[in-house]
Amino acid sequence: MSFLKLDEIKEQGIFRPQLTSLIDVMTILLVFLIKSFSVEGNLVSLPENMELPLSTSPKPPRQVYTLDITQEAVLAEDTRIVSLEQIGEGDSLLIEPLYEWMKREHVKLDSAGNTELLIQCDRDIMFSYIKKVMYSCSKAGFSDFCVLVIREEN
Amino acid sequence: MRLSLFKNKYPPSEITDIPELDVTPVMNMFIILIPFLVSMAIFTQLSIIDFSLPPNVGPSMNSSKTKPVPKLTVRVGDDYLGIVIGDQLLDSLPVANNIYPFNKLSKRLLFHKQDLNYNEELIIASKDNIPIKTVVRTMDLSREAGFEKIGLSSAADEAGDVE
Repeated sequence: MSFLKLDEIKEQGIFRPQLTSLIDVMTILLVFLIKSFSVEGNLVSLPENMELPLSTSPKPPRQVYTLDITQEAVLAEDTRIVSLEQIGEGDSLLIEPLYEWMKREHVKLDSAGNTELLIQCDRDIMFSYIKKVMYSCSKAGFSDFCVLVIREEN
Repeated sequence: MRLSLFKNKYPPSEITDIPELDVTPVMNMFIILIPFLVSMAIFTQLSIIDFSLPPNVGPSMNSSKTKPVPKLTVRVGDDYLGIVIGDQLLDSLPVANNIYPFNKLSKRLLFHKQDLNYNEELIIASKDNIPIKTVVRTMDLSREAGFEKIGLSSAADEAGDVE
């Protein structure tokens, strides 16, 4: 590698920046990005302000009907169905608005033969809310459940 | 015929005027390739955990006429973690200062699986005030202990009672 002095540069009348180190950085970056490259992309989209629980489960997500439980409300297809405040107020295990919504969705999904439900919930949500949501969904006809998690290495 | 490699009369170490490679096209390629790869990269790996509900909570009530077999249950509470089969409490692992004894639970689950030769569904029964991350951690430990099928249920106040 030749390092030209300023006088030599002036003499030659050219300035060629050293790109070797930049190429090194780019190569490392390229290897890292190819490693984390996915043709499928993300099958599920996460709502904002939601931190999923961590797990060592190796099972990849499937494209099934998804229900989001954030710190504020229960959402389906980006539609707010019921707030957690409302769920907490009721004594019954059955959440009526959620039950009605899921019943309609189950009829649609049943014809396609896919009645599995993926629950995306914030890691700090109490089990009492999850229990009521699962109960209402199971009454609406959903029988297979799965919960979305962030994979962590052992 | 002389090889072109040896046409210089000086060895390569003595040649001071080495022609530099023009890396500009390589840089151009990188500049196109990197934004594309960034857009397609996944930085957070997502997974799922499958679970089922107890049969009497499902869309149809349990219609089986045979006597139900008692299932091994992990009771998750903020006071203790319990391993229960039927009405019998096999283990009770106290929770101190909100620190759950997950290591002990893992060992005890492995022991009971081998001791009882239990290959059925494991039920995780959680109290209402337990965050889902704790339930998910218990599911992980159960799967790592060799329980393939996991059911999720709600724990009543008394050990062994599942709502």
